[in-house]
Amino acid sequence: MKILIIEDEKGLRESIEEYFTEAGNICETASNYQEGLSKVSLYSYDCILLDITLPGGSGIDILKHLKRDNNNDGLLIISAKNSLDDRLEGLDLGADDYLVKPFHLSELRARVTAIIRRKTFNGSNQLVFNEINIDLLAKTVNVNNQPIKLTRKEYALLLYFLANKGKVVSKNAIAEHLWGDGMDLANNFDFIYSHIKNLRKKLIEAGSNDYIQAAYGMGYKFTNP
Amino acid sequence: MKLLTRYNRVNLLTTIVVMLITGIIYYQAISVILINQLEKDLVVEENEIFEYVSLNHHLPQVFKSNDQQITFTEASPGSVRREFINTIYRNYNNVKYVKRHHHRDDEEEFESGRGLITSVTVGDKYYKVLIVVSTVEVEDLIKIIFGITAGVILLLLVTLYTTNRLLLNRLWQPFYDLLKELRFFNVTDNKDIPLGKTNIDEFEELNQAIIGMSTRVKSDYKELKSFTENASHELLTPIAVINSKLDTLIQTDSFSLQQSKLLSDLYSAVSKLTRLNQSLLLLVKIENRLLESNEHIDLKLHIEEMLIQFEEIFLDKELKVSSDLGEKELVTSTYLVDILLNNLLGNAIRHNHPGGEIRIKLTPESLTIQNTGRPEALKQDQIFVRFHKSTESEGSGLGLTISRQICENLKFTLNYGYKAPYHTFTVSF
Repeated sequence: MKILIIEDEKGLRESIEEYFTEAGNICETASNYQEGLSKVSLYSYDCILLDITLPGGSGIDILKHLKRDNNNDGLLIISAKNSLDDRLEGLDLGADDYLVKPFHLSELRARVTAIIRRKTFNGSNQLVFNEINIDLLAKTVNVNNQPIKLTRKEYALLLYFLANKGKVVSKNAIAEHLWGDGMDLANNFDFIYSHIKNLRKKLIEAGSNDYIQAAYGMGYKFTNP
Repeated sequence: MKLLTRYNRVNLLTTIVVMLITGIIYYQAISVILINQLEKDLVVEENEIFEYVSLNHHLPQVFKSNDQQITFTEASPGSVRREFINTIYRNYNNVKYVKRHHHRDDEEEFESGRGLITSVTVGDKYYKVLIVVSTVEVEDLIKIIFGITAGVILLLLVTLYTTNRLLLNRLWQPFYDLLKELRFFNVTDNKDIPLGKTNIDEFEELNQAIIGMSTRVKSDYKELKSFTENASHELLTPIAVINSKLDTLIQTDSFSLQQSKLLSDLYSAVSKLTRLNQSLLLLVKIENRLLESNEHIDLKLHIEEMLIQFEEIFLDKELKVSSDLGEKELVTSTYLVDILLNNLLGNAIRHNHPGGEIRIKLTPESLTIQNTGRPEALKQDQIFVRFHKSTESEGSGLGLTISRQICENLKFTLNYGYKAPYHTFTVSF
């Protein structure tokens, strides 16, 4: 997939670029309004990550420009502004999602993956990873064509892992993804452990490989063994 | 002590003292004037006697009269010195006096009198003359005058008291109005203090001073708030960078146990910082009433969904949750209600002990969340203060402040109570 990151903060831009760059992905970056505008005008992307406050202009104007051109690129706004109005304005103007800073890269990745999946929806709503087959509409999971029963949290967790496969995902990111950042229960990740344990058990019992690995006590990694 | 009471007390006291002094002076002056008048009468009588004697060369016949008594007594020549005296007046068979003093039945009565001792020589005889007039009439007069004066004083006092009361109450009305407004003054409110018109300079000045003060306070507060907001906003980007760098860092090669422990701690600290920052921003937004909207919320359904969301955490902490939910609809912002419920329920979980209990009750009037926890009451006045938290709490110390602020905005009240073993938070709609 091809991604454009329009973000003026160098540290953040580089981290995002690094996180998304892997085999099969192309990442381009823009650090200001002009550069961003010219790139979105010239090229087509699967997903554009757009910061609102940019030197030289507002990300909202880039968004408007894109929509005027009937551009169908996926668009995710990353903003420090967490107000309902900004969020609504962004989404009303045609952005696909809105993520508030600070965020975990794994969360960003999960959102981007979801956007691209929706955009490249070719009559199929199946997500396949080796022997695991997920029906995104029915929210059912099959392993080797055998249905397995997952709870809502386990299902969300599996999707999250698949979007971040090969990456170490921190416990904090998982907790925030599953319970939202309003849930202020830091330093108590035991409940995450039990969810992961259950998910892993169900997958293995259905005949799947053991994909979920604990990573140095601070997170988990979903990867081909 | 009220100003009016104080004022009345001082006012009445001075009035009474002044009136008393005036009364005494008045009494004395009238006494002197009337006694003088009597003495003049006595002198007239004396002159009449002298004239009579010099004309007729014998003493005049003495009549008993109501007004005066004259007695002649022989005396050795030159022994009498002319003088006015206070004496008694013998009243014989005086109907008027008997009537008045009917309790006394002897016909002879003594009254106070004023006398003039003088001397007259008739032929070769020397007589001491005593002319006495009753001062009863005078005293009666003084009494009447005194009574009238006392009456006037009393009337004056009553009038003063009532007019003061009415007038002062009226005069001070702008002050009381202002006081009422000040009591409802809230720096977070955007509206100004409504001040009544007054044409009294002092109150007008007071009004102006208060308008000035409230404007200053509000602008200071606004500045402080925008500072908080800006600072929090500026912090977001570096926090985002730290967060993303950490996420990137853990993708690199393997870590030792010590390194991963350090990374975990860093993650925790950053997420705490994030939450703290978000809480601050949220608080500012709630105070600025930026999050208001009118959505219909089925509170019962909302709480049930939230309980499902927290299910794993309840299980994990082995908390027993019981709920008694009635129907309740709110028309307000879902976002705020979510935060409120999240905070209260989060607290009930966080400050609970494993195997503890949470009880939730929803009625059309109130929502009550009870939880077991440390077996001692929290300090009412401190728990809603910013950054106040128990030592073992991992929270931001802003949760209850935010909750209370939300309740204030939604015109609810949030109260805390402790009755062993339950800590109880009640939201009254």
